[in-house]
Amino acid sequence: MLKPRLLIVGTFITASLILTSCADSNSGGAGQSTLDIDFSKLATTTESGAGTVDRVTWNLPYEPLSLDPMHTFNYAENTVDANLCEGLTRLTPELTEENALAESVANPDPQTYIYTIRDGVTFWDGSALTADDVVYSLERQLGPGSTTYWTDYFLNVASVEKTADREVTIKLTQPDVLFAQAMSTAAGAIVSQSAAVAAGEAFGTPRGGLQCTGPFSLTSWEPGKAITLSKNPHYWDTDLIPLVEQISFSFIADETTAINALRSGDIDGQYFYLPPAGLSQLNSDNTTTTYGKSYVFWTLRALQETGTFAQPEVRAALLAALDRQAIADVVFQGAALPAPTLTGPDYFGSGPEAELFQEALDSYNTDPDLDRARELLAQAGDISEPIVIAVQGSSAVHEQTVNLIQAAGQAIGLKIEIRVIPVEQYGNIYVDPKAREGLDGFLTTYYGNVPDPLDIYAIFTPGGAYNFTNYNQAGEFIEEARQTLDPVARAEPTIQAQELVTRDLPWTPLNYMPNILVQNKRISGAAASIAYLSYPWAATIGGQQ
Amino acid sequence: MSIPTFILRRAGSLVLVLLVTSFVVFGLMYLAPGSPLSFVLGPRGGTPEQIAQVTAQYHLDDPFFLRYIAWVGDVLRGDLGNSIVYRQSVSDLIEGRAGTTLALISMATVIIAIVGIGFGLLASLRGGWIDQVVTTVATLGLATPTFVIGVALISMFAVGLGWFPTNGSGSGGFNTLVHLTLPAIALSVASAAYLARITRASVLEEKEREHVQTAVARGLRSPIIIRRHVLRNSLIPITTVMGLTIATLVAGAVVIENVFALDGLGSLLVRAILQRDFAIVQAVILVLVVAFVVINAIVDFLYTLIDPRISLGSRQ
Repeated sequence: MLKPRLLIVGTFITASLILTSCADSNSGGAGQSTLDIDFSKLATTTESGAGTVDRVTWNLPYEPLSLDPMHTFNYAENTVDANLCEGLTRLTPELTEENALAESVANPDPQTYIYTIRDGVTFWDGSALTADDVVYSLERQLGPGSTTYWTDYFLNVASVEKTADREVTIKLTQPDVLFAQAMSTAAGAIVSQSAAVAAGEAFGTPRGGLQCTGPFSLTSWEPGKAITLSKNPHYWDTDLIPLVEQISFSFIADETTAINALRSGDIDGQYFYLPPAGLSQLNSDNTTTTYGKSYVFWTLRALQETGTFAQPEVRAALLAALDRQAIADVVFQGAALPAPTLTGPDYFGSGPEAELFQEALDSYNTDPDLDRARELLAQAGDISEPIVIAVQGSSAVHEQTVNLIQAAGQAIGLKIEIRVIPVEQYGNIYVDPKAREGLDGFLTTYYGNVPDPLDIYAIFTPGGAYNFTNYNQAGEFIEEARQTLDPVARAEPTIQAQELVTRDLPWTPLNYMPNILVQNKRISGAAASIAYLSYPWAATIGGQQ
Repeated sequence: MSIPTFILRRAGSLVLVLLVTSFVVFGLMYLAPGSPLSFVLGPRGGTPEQIAQVTAQYHLDDPFFLRYIAWVGDVLRGDLGNSIVYRQSVSDLIEGRAGTTLALISMATVIIAIVGIGFGLLASLRGGWIDQVVTTVATLGLATPTFVIGVALISMFAVGLGWFPTNGSGSGGFNTLVHLTLPAIALSVASAAYLARITRASVLEEKEREHVQTAVARGLRSPIIIRRHVLRNSLIPITTVMGLTIATLVAGAVVIENVFALDGLGSLLVRAILQRDFAIVQAVILVLVVAFVVINAIVDFLYTLIDPRISLGSRQ
């Protein structure tokens, strides 16, 4: 009689499995649960961990393609690299700059930077960091032939030279404050010349390995499976010698699986760049969720120089008709803020210039205003052609936002067509002009790399590689700001550029998004701000009592 | 047909199938929109100089036939090419992942065989309400999508009860077995349900056959009848279905490997397709085609063992 009973139990289990899975997808996708976030108090760090930890498992949203810092400008890659490779300067969790591999930085004239390299720093293999390594790491990113992802920051570099034993001098063709700032990102990361030359094209891949100076060293990269880092006990910065012996990265791309792995404790933490549908499921579990300062913003970018959407008045009208608060509440479940400009407060820096930027920000309003929208539209020319907006397939965030945009357009008489582009082709919009044909705009998240709004507005440099619509109204101010080294003096032309960009909207600001950090309660201490993309955020993780 | 002739013939048709498949896959990849450029140049895109340089470096603008012939030439020399996106050799990428997929499919096959045949026999031999329950459960199993079962298993046995890990393929040996248990179950549910139904149907059919009835009339003991007369004859359709099932498991593995974040060929293939990484797509598909053809050959071979009247390689 045992067998029939087992069968009944089996039937019951199958049925309940199906029911639970339905319940799961319901609670995940409904989008009604609003996350409780205080945007005035976004975190920079989390409570320091106490005591050593043998092993931490961290999840990445996908497997990196390369760990060579020159080829890392995206979430997963930089999450790992930030703990491995460091530059002459670095960004702190508070989003300020400090010296790292450089003991001091001199700037005798606006076109010259002299970096004195810290004494006694070694690569993981024990070899000493030399000025030659610094020269090599920067020089390989110069010129049109370089495949670096960081081209923009090296545009004005004339020469990189070793000028003394521990001194590297960089000459610029014209003053460029963004170059100096970018040295605190992966663009300025220093790699071992001998290791990079020996590995050639394979440098930074599972086969070619990596050689840097950071608080963790690369132990192994098993393709498809895991990247494992080990504590570097000889790290030069004694404040950042890790408490964690090993940190191993998994690559769970499926968000439901990632959330489940966090709930079960299979992974100890993850940074999310979009609020995942299941984030609210974590609240009552064994994890802590922290919302940190962030450079990430959600934007609708124009793509064409002709057509209805190419008219600034049309874009301004559409934005005036749009309820950005609704996008924050509905699409992001509360984990976003309406964005008046492209760059939010976390870009403003820490000096007196921050006040100037804040003042400028406060002069904008994000409340929808249909009358103003109609007024703006009346000033526009021909609006009979529909506006085609591209969204990424299988992304709820994209599809929900574009539905709200379409409704807003309809309310004022704009015809908006939605073109769903499969995720596999979406990236081509950035690269391939053919992929942009027939599209008037596309939705995208974007982030700058340094605490200065200019980093974003510099995209609108006339003729710039990423300035798809050739927007040139703000060119003069951008150029002026880029050459103004004093941050307070620089704020003025930057704000003027911002004023123009916010009027003409080559990119439409939609929402600011916080940095979301989830940690298992057994650990604490990971950096909470967007600095995790260039600061060794895992070096401060410890056990939690 | 002798065994060497059989193997030779099968090898010959395998080469032909590989050639045709590779041509079709290459053609489809070539026609599909998108290119690996955006992954090589990073999310910012590149400067026009960089785009031109990368396009030339990887021959992305070469005509279709030139690229295909170059690829075939490389494969003949034993070089599966390099992944543009990963900057690694394709054989390295496949080598690391084939083991996981093989283990996953093997485990699923064992589960399918035991559960499918077991429940099929139970239903057909016992009949009555047992039969009804098995048939109902089998219908449910067939109707539920693999990923739903995967997610349900994770929430119940990994998150809820904590018996199994939620993701990953483990560190080898017993650890891998534990890691692959849930994925293998999820992968096998639909196929096991199908096999149970086939087994049930074919056993019922055999039971009605004349020679079985004769055996019953002769008063043979029922276990002997079932083993010698019913099962033996039912094994042909069961083996056929098993063979086809294993081949389709490869497709199911693509989904399951994503749900459980396993480092298998399926997830590699999906990513490679998304990234337009020609060399990986081609190589993985070739591996799958070889596996498919080999499994079919094994099934054919098994026929002759089950029923010596069937000659090797016959098409009856």
